Amino acid sequence: MRLRLDGQTVAATATQTGLSAPTVSAAWKAFREGGWQAVPVRPRGRKVGQAQRLDGAAQQALCARLAEQPPAPEAAWSSEGVAEALKADGHKISPRAIDHWLEAHDLKPSPLLLEGLERHRSVTGRWYRHQAEPVLERVRRADGALWQGGVRVSQPGEALAGEPRRYQLYLHGKRGKLYSRCLAVPPRAEDYLVLFNRLLDQADGKPVVLIFRGAWFDRVQEIGGWLQEHPDFRLLPWPASS
Amino acid sequence: MTSLTHLQKLEAESIQIMREVVAETENPVMLYSVGKDSAVMLHLARKAFAPAPPPFPLLHVDTRWKFRAMYDFRDQMAKEVGMDLLVHINPEGIEKDINPFTHGSAIHTDVMKTEGLKQALDKYGFDAAFGGARRDEEKSRAKERVFSFRTAQHRWDPKNQRPELWRIYNTRKHKGESIRVFPLSNWTELDIWQYIYLQNIPIVPLYYSAERPVVERDGALIMVDDERMPLEPGEVPMMRKVRFRTLGCYPLTGAIESEADTLPDIIQEMLLTKTSERQGRVIDHDSAASMEKKKQEGYF
Repeated sequence: MRLRLDGQTVAATATQTGLSAPTVSAAWKAFREGGWQAVPVRPRGRKVGQAQRLDGAAQQALCARLAEQPPAPEAAWSSEGVAEALKADGHKISPRAIDHWLEAHDLKPSPLLLEGLERHRSVTGRWYRHQAEPVLERVRRADGALWQGGVRVSQPGEALAGEPRRYQLYLHGKRGKLYSRCLAVPPRAEDYLVLFNRLLDQADGKPVVLIFRGAWFDRVQEIGGWLQEHPDFRLLPWPASS
Repeated sequence: MTSLTHLQKLEAESIQIMREVVAETENPVMLYSVGKDSAVMLHLARKAFAPAPPPFPLLHVDTRWKFRAMYDFRDQMAKEVGMDLLVHINPEGIEKDINPFTHGSAIHTDVMKTEGLKQALDKYGFDAAFGGARRDEEKSRAKERVFSFRTAQHRWDPKNQRPELWRIYNTRKHKGESIRVFPLSNWTELDIWQYIYLQNIPIVPLYYSAERPVVERDGALIMVDDERMPLEPGEVPMMRKVRFRTLGCYPLTGAIESEADTLPDIIQEMLLTKTSERQGRVIDHDSAASMEKKKQEGYF
């Protein structure tokens, strides 16, 4: 409510609080009608002890699946996709349980905040105005696909000390839906190229733009060559923070 | 009577050492490696001899493999302080194109640093050289005296060091001998950072955390600083938020993952760390007691 009172949009409030947009809208409506008293405040999530825990075998199967390439044309695994694949392996795990596991293992990165970036007086703001916005505009006009993504190293918290750190190659699609692959070693050029090719395949001949954070492609000839051969695919590297 | 803080005591000790060297030797020089210790040493030298500039030149023994940001910073600082900056690169190393990738870190360090330093000291006839080494960095440095004597062949004998009782230094040299002087010997890494913070001393930006392109080599994060760094087939450098606790040749210097992008954050990180800054230096792990061997042969 405080964010809404500060003038934030429903979407921005939902992103910042981790609540869904309908929940934010409903709470805002209740607040306007009945003030603070009317806003329903309930503890989030399941009650303690009722969570569905993944046993060792299920976690192992999940990790193995996340390290593999997903079936074409998927570029990376969604929670639903990996749940489906695990079901075929005999592990019944819900997409929601997979989401929780990803979150607990620091494998659920947030989408980049592009909203309002054109007004920022920063390196990122300048990059957005001069490099990203014209490309995004062209792709939008051509009804193309807009993706965000990146590569990162997970930092499991103290509760998971001893867990291996994973290299996560991830994408955020429409409405911030997460797709990812989690590897034991840094992704290689071929991993990126499979990802790019599949995004292009999904677009049915329309242009694709991918804003990507966390990799430095300048010296990778395979990727440079592929980008030249595929002018419909625009890769926009997110500027480095200093 | 006001008592000095521990940093003021360290500062006073370092200034006394520097003045002692200038008074007792004929041709001193300050080795300038462009790192944080060099930055502090240079700052202390300027304080020790103010308002005149320090009465000795700066010497940078260049390996050609330092970070680009270090070269920029070195040139900028030399201009700012108004001291002569001597840059020496081992010509044999240039001729044979010695580099850390083809020749390995041990040969690269020996030819470009140890031999390069000895050549430079001989070429200019320096009889005393200030270095920014500290005892807390490494075990062989811990046992070295503040005034550390070298033979005419620049060799160090750790079993034959002069006592330094009550901070009285014996500066008499035999013919051909030279002295390596360590005014920061008793400082710790934390002291250095606190002093940099309190005195607002400029340092190379690589010490602050930022997103930089890195690759992993034997568990170390190595920054891809220029096009000479060979990448493995299909390897894609990652942009990771890293900083350096120590600076050397970029292919031999490991970064640490860190969010510390201000001096207070670095100090905070320092207070919690349990490892030595030199764990990031590949050259220190070449072989058992490798630093002591290098030092005996003339390395700083």
